Amino acid sequence: MTIPRHEDRENAKETLEYIRRTMESASTFTAVSGWGLVTVGGVGLLAAWLAWSGNQDADLRIWIPAAIVSVMIAVAFNVAKARRQDVPIWSGAIRRLAWVMTPTLGVGALLTFALTAQGTPQLLPGTWLAIYGAGVTAGAEFSVRAIRWMGVLFVGIGAVALFRPEWGLALLAAGFGGLHMVIGLDIMLRHGG
Amino acid sequence: MAGSAVSDELDRLIHERMRLGIVSALAAEDSMSFADLKHVLRTSDGNLSVHARKLEEAGYIKVSKGYEDRKPKTDYRLTAKGRRALEGYLEKMEAILSEARDALERS
Repeated sequence: MTIPRHEDRENAKETLEYIRRTMESASTFTAVSGWGLVTVGGVGLLAAWLAWSGNQDADLRIWIPAAIVSVMIAVAFNVAKARRQDVPIWSGAIRRLAWVMTPTLGVGALLTFALTAQGTPQLLPGTWLAIYGAGVTAGAEFSVRAIRWMGVLFVGIGAVALFRPEWGLALLAAGFGGLHMVIGLDIMLRHGG
Repeated sequence: MAGSAVSDELDRLIHERMRLGIVSALAAEDSMSFADLKHVLRTSDGNLSVHARKLEEAGYIKVSKGYEDRKPKTDYRLTAKGRRALEGYLEKMEAILSEARDALERS
């Protein structure tokens, strides 16, 4: 074989990088765990039931621990699925979701304390749902369509909750409980668990 | 790489960027739907269809058509021939880099 020209060498490097990137995108595209989402949905329903029992829709003593437990469950299930599918844990769809969701959840926490301090806790359900939905929609660009639709629906449910705060708890249950479960089941059936 | 001695040795069918993307994505996943493949490769319906058909005609990928929720669904899978073609292509790319490195060390 002749000595490769500089142009050939650069093209080869770029082509190998393209192949690596494409394979990574394809393999992590379905790496979001459906089981994880269903379990997180269960936590959402349990939190909604506890809030309903206590007669306080946005009870922070319930929803903050529920959020922390949900994040831990999501991380554990996604790591397990990535290992099962033999794909990198910290790459592609999961990495992007994590990068987008971290500041989103931070802003959610900030608004939670601001709205509580301002004496408007009735706006918390809508704020949580809409912010979470915005984060998921942005972060799911490289993931399966179901995740993107879940984000859009969360924004919609959040918008309703902001203008109809009296439905707050029902919408929290529908979003963090029902929607997580429905989308999780869809991913389980279509994308291997 | 058009016109160089090196590029003449490459599999022209998967040297084209979109077809290389299809084969690479299918090498990573057992099977992908048309919609998922389109999303991963960020391309249009028409572009993906044209290139997938060429790969199918060459026997590099296998296409199966069916229905899901009463909507038509097309799934793609890499064949053994397609996998060998990608492996051969990767070896060529690695050989180019290795020879370039050797030439650099000699100079």
